Amino acid sequence: MGDKIGIFLCECGPNIASKVDMDRIAAEIAGLKDFGDKELVIRRHKLLCSNEGKKFLEDEINSNELTHMVCAACSPREHDSTFIGVCKKTKLNPYLYTMVNIREQCAWVIPDKEQSTDKAVKYIHGGMNRVLYQEQLFENQLDSNCDVLVIGAGIAGVQASLNLASKDRTVYLIERAPELGGKTTRLHGLLTEQGSNLNMISQKLAKLKKNPNIKVFTSTKLESIIGFQGNYEIVIRNLVNNDTTEFMAGAVIVATGYELLHAGESAYMEFSDEHDVHCGLEIEALMAQQKKVLKKNGKTPTSVGIIHCVGRELSGYCSKICCNYLIKISSYIRAMYPDVPVVHYIRDLCLPTKDSQSFYKDVREEGIEFKYISGLNLKGETVKYADPYGTEGTDEHDMIIYAKSVIPAMGTKELAQLLNIDLDEYGFIKEAHLKINPISSSNDGIFAVGAAHGPANVADSIIQAKAAVAKISTQLIPGQKIVPEVKVSEVLEAYCTGCQTCLKVCKYGAIYFDDAKAVSVVNGAVCRGCGNCVGSCPSGSIRSRHFTNPQLFQEIKEAVR
Amino acid sequence: MSANENVMIIGSGVAGMEAALMLSKAGKKVILVEKLPIIGGKTIKNEETFPNLDCSTCLVAPIQQSILQNKDIQVLTYSSIEKVSGNRGDFKVSVRKKARYVSLELCLGCGMCYEVCPVVLKNEWEENLADKKAIYVPCSGSLPNVPVIDREKCLNLNGTEECTKCVESCMFAAIDLKDTDQVLEFSVSGIIVATGYDIYDAAEIDRLGYSKLDGVYTSLEFERLFASNGPTQGELILRNGKKPESVAIIHCVGREESGYCSTVCCMSSSKHAHFIKHKLENVRIFNLYSDICLTDKNYQKFYDSVKSHDSEFIFQADMNSINIEEAGDKLNVKYLYKGKVEQISTDMVILANSLVPPKNIVDLTEILKIDRDKYGFISVEPYEIGSVETSRAGIFVAGCVEGPKDVQSSILQAEAAVAGILAVINE
Ligand SMILES: Cc1cc2nc3c(=O)[nH]c(=O)nc-3n(C[C@H](O)[C@H](O)[C@H](O)COP(=O)(O)OP(=O)(O)OC[C@H]3O[C@@H](n4cnc5c(N)ncnc54)[C@H](O)[C@@H]3O)c2cc1C
Ligand SMILES: Cc1cc2nc3c(=O)[nH]c(=O)nc-3n(C[C@H](O)[C@H](O)[C@H](O)COP(=O)(O)OP(=O)(O)OC[C@H]3O[C@@H](n4cnc5c(N)ncnc54)[C@H](O)[C@@H]3O)c2cc1C
Ligand code: SF4
Ligand code: SF4
Ligand code: SF4
Ligand code: SF4
Ligand code: SF4
Repeated sequence: MGDKIGIFLCECGPNIASKVDMDRIAAEIAGLKDFGDKELVIRRHKLLCSNEGKKFLEDEINSNELTHMVCAACSPREHDSTFIGVCKKTKLNPYLYTMVNIREQCAWVIPDKEQSTDKAVKYIHGGMNRVLYQEQLFENQLDSNCDVLVIGAGIAGVQASLNLASKDRTVYLIERAPELGGKTTRLHGLLTEQGSNLNMISQKLAKLKKNPNIKVFTSTKLESIIGFQGNYEIVIRNLVNNDTTEFMAGAVIVATGYELLHAGESAYMEFSDEHDVHCGLEIEALMAQQKKVLKKNGKTPTSVGIIHCVGRELSGYCSKICCNYLIKISSYIRAMYPDVPVVHYIRDLCLPTKDSQSFYKDVREEGIEFKYISGLNLKGETVKYADPYGTEGTDEHDMIIYAKSVIPAMGTKELAQLLNIDLDEYGFIKEAHLKINPISSSNDGIFAVGAAHGPANVADSIIQAKAAVAKISTQLIPGQKIVPEVKVSEVLEAYCTGCQTCLKVCKYGAIYFDDAKAVSVVNGAVCRGCGNCVGSCPSGSIRSRHFTNPQLFQEIKEAVR
Repeated sequence: MSANENVMIIGSGVAGMEAALMLSKAGKKVILVEKLPIIGGKTIKNEETFPNLDCSTCLVAPIQQSILQNKDIQVLTYSSIEKVSGNRGDFKVSVRKKARYVSLELCLGCGMCYEVCPVVLKNEWEENLADKKAIYVPCSGSLPNVPVIDREKCLNLNGTEECTKCVESCMFAAIDLKDTDQVLEFSVSGIIVATGYDIYDAAEIDRLGYSKLDGVYTSLEFERLFASNGPTQGELILRNGKKPESVAIIHCVGREESGYCSTVCCMSSSKHAHFIKHKLENVRIFNLYSDICLTDKNYQKFYDSVKSHDSEFIFQADMNSINIEEAGDKLNVKYLYKGKVEQISTDMVILANSLVPPKNIVDLTEILKIDRDKYGFISVEPYEIGSVETSRAGIFVAGCVEGPKDVQSSILQAEAAVAGILAVINE
């Protein structure tokens, strides 16, 4: 059976029909010499995307037994999926159809009707050439594993595990420390708006331990992981006895939290061990253990200075949590020592939750002082500062509490390499898209939650954990198969010289090297069809299945003739 | 498993849209209710989005398109909820779908009808900086790109005269002046409220001169002034027809009054300074601020660059001491510096308005029977840290209607709400 190409010209109401000469297009296409031996079915329609238009297309495809189809209409962005949908209802493989944009690229941008008609004819001719070189492609269905590996058992990892685990979904939670709970369990309390105490956290840990669908591994690290969303082979290693455990999972959540920048790196912080200078976390730990903060000599402090933003100039961002927790620590001090003067040295107040400003006002009302500064030097417990206008001052304290910048957890870089995910310029895990896909990493199937992403308080961490839970529960549904991208790339083994350039350019980790054959191989289940590798291969041995050189050449050749 | 797999989402900003798309991915049916004739929320008013200055349309339009093309999402624009009964897992909701008078199926968005309509009105969507007709789309690029008739103002519908100009102009017979409101009933397992925010009414603060002095703009007015699909096609032309040579941006407008920091306006103000500087090279820009609030690791870098290249930042110990006065065709911005009154002479003042609960929040929360917090935002379970469930089980909240936040935090909260809804359905 010969080729029978359907060419559908959409008028788009007056949008196209009033700006290009539809009759001339139809006539010129019918007369194309290079299609003299092909059967063409040329039809016009007022509105192809309407329900009636779609039905019309479907009937035409079926009754004419079309082998290929070209729709000349609006932008593919608008209706490509509409026409693919129509193909799927017929015997015509959707990849043997193509769309030509004669609205945005002709009718709407060329005022001269003759010129825009000429251009439309060329474009449609290009589309007809291309479509003959297109190949049938078929969607694949893959079984997927719905279990999840969670790395890090801070509040973010714990929350994600609790929400994900069910009889259909096992969660493997690994924590490198011997204990669960992360940094929050080392705190004395939480913010007033959070109910002050840590009960909620201990309740969650208790629930976690009781959940039969969560397998907890403490003192454990990730050893290796290969695969892709729905099919990861994972090996973990116990750091104490070196035992390894292997299992499969379909998704990974990174919840490795944060570390605090060492204050010694900020040149303006000069103090030694004998001084009463403590970071916020030390105060929290002291409070948690002894319910009291005393000077190193056992006496009560008589004047407390609280320094914000230490290390911010090095880390390059505001750590977001510290203004809030320093105000909380002030409230501890005030409750313990109602008469001790407390002064905060602030450059900016960052009050990121809607209740933080009233909390700040409350402690200010209790006599806590806040001094805006433009710079400061700490020597021992003495603070030399300049106010925002440059006027200098010196305050003597006998206790200093300060905030350290939040930085990525130790080992984040190595972990990111194992997982093949991108880090941002600060070393935190990078979002797939900061604004619209903030919870996914650069690699499908791997998500990051909590402070692993950047400074986050407990509420942020929990919300992010739930967001990742939603992602996984809507992408990896127990019993459902996954359908990978069809328009993927492939390496032509015979031409591949094994230079491995492509491995470096693939952002998705879709290419691996087959050592035995000494060629690169694209994993079709992971490839997104971006085409980077195609362009990068020096020997031209990679082809993108829906954007092959002949397809593109055939299409362009008419447009530039 | 609950038999009811339908979910209602109220509000179609970034939060509502994200939740809708996610739920449809999981095979759930979504009813998306939006009070405006278009979907997309506030972000489509912005030309670019901080901190990477992504083109907002490029970010949001594909999301809007996928919503409109998704068979599992029933989009009810120009609609609002009227009554809610039932419980978690099984709510009954009535939705009033206001008469649009233009068929969503037949209309192609060609724009002929509003060309011919004789009624000229202020366009609120454009922050009253542009006009519209009685039959209108809020802005070019509206989605769905189908006009609506303002029935109070249409000469025919309000009984002034027998005008049928638009009907005659439409080649697709898409306009039906006999259209009526419809009340639709839905049965859903859960509800997500994502009705966003409004901005603080700066006219409340007399000393800032807003609404009296032509050169004073709100942050949203500025966003539209800068938008390439806005009233001036993105040209920075003031109400007096001139281009500004000097601009003052006042932070924290309404912060004291509303009781919280709005967390996005330091960044949006920095963005505005950047926009202006890159459009008008010789302009001088001053940001008057008291705190710089940068809630994302990626924000400081942007702020630092604006501070070193685009604008001066002047610290204000007391934002209440700022006064804006007319001085010929200029504006004098008076402020305190080291306790002394100083002044800047400018052509334009942009106010960084606080984000406040949306205007209709009281009615909405009363219909839904859910609690508001002391600021008027929808509150979540107290002390259940990171909760996205409201005081009524089965009703969740996402985005700025829970409190001010940026786009990514709104999206994260929407995703968290989806996790909550899925738990309800899977119970
Ligand atoms: C002084 C201070 C006071 C604070 N007060 C408050 C407050 O009042 N309210 C509030 O909301 N927030 C507060 N915070 C912030 C709070 O600590 C964080 O929001 C929270 O800890 C973030 O949780 P997370 O799970 O993301 O990270 P973490 O708590 O850091 O947990 C991460 C876990 O991952 C583990 N891990 C790391 N790397 C690996 C690896 N490679 N393999 C396996 N496991 C790994 C770590 O051992 C740790 O257990 C405070 C912070 C400080 C410093
Ligand atoms: C001047 C300015 C500039 C900004 N710039 C940025 C930026 O560059 N980057 C950034 O990250 N953030 C920015 N923001 C913040 C950003 O606008 C918000 O984060 C975002 O819009 C929140 O989305 P949302 O979905 O919660 O609400 P919205 O965008 O407000 O959407 C809510 C939707 O609900 C609808 N609605 C309201 N009430 C009802 C009802 N009763 N029934 C049905 N529907 C209803 C509304 O019509 C609207 O469509 C900016 C804010 C301002 C003020
Ligand atoms: S949260 Fe406060 S203390 Fe911490 S870096 Fe930001 S401004 Fe400084
Ligand atoms: S097309 Fe893109 S995603 Fe696919 S293998 Fe090549 S580089 Fe990777
Ligand atoms: S009928 Fe109404 S909307 Fe239509 S043209 Fe006349 S006034 Fe305008
Ligand atoms: S004239 Fe008709 S088709 Fe065109 S925009 Fe108006 S209602 Fe829609
Ligand atoms: S974000 Fe900045 S401008 Fe907005 S209220 Fe907070 S401190 Fe003021």
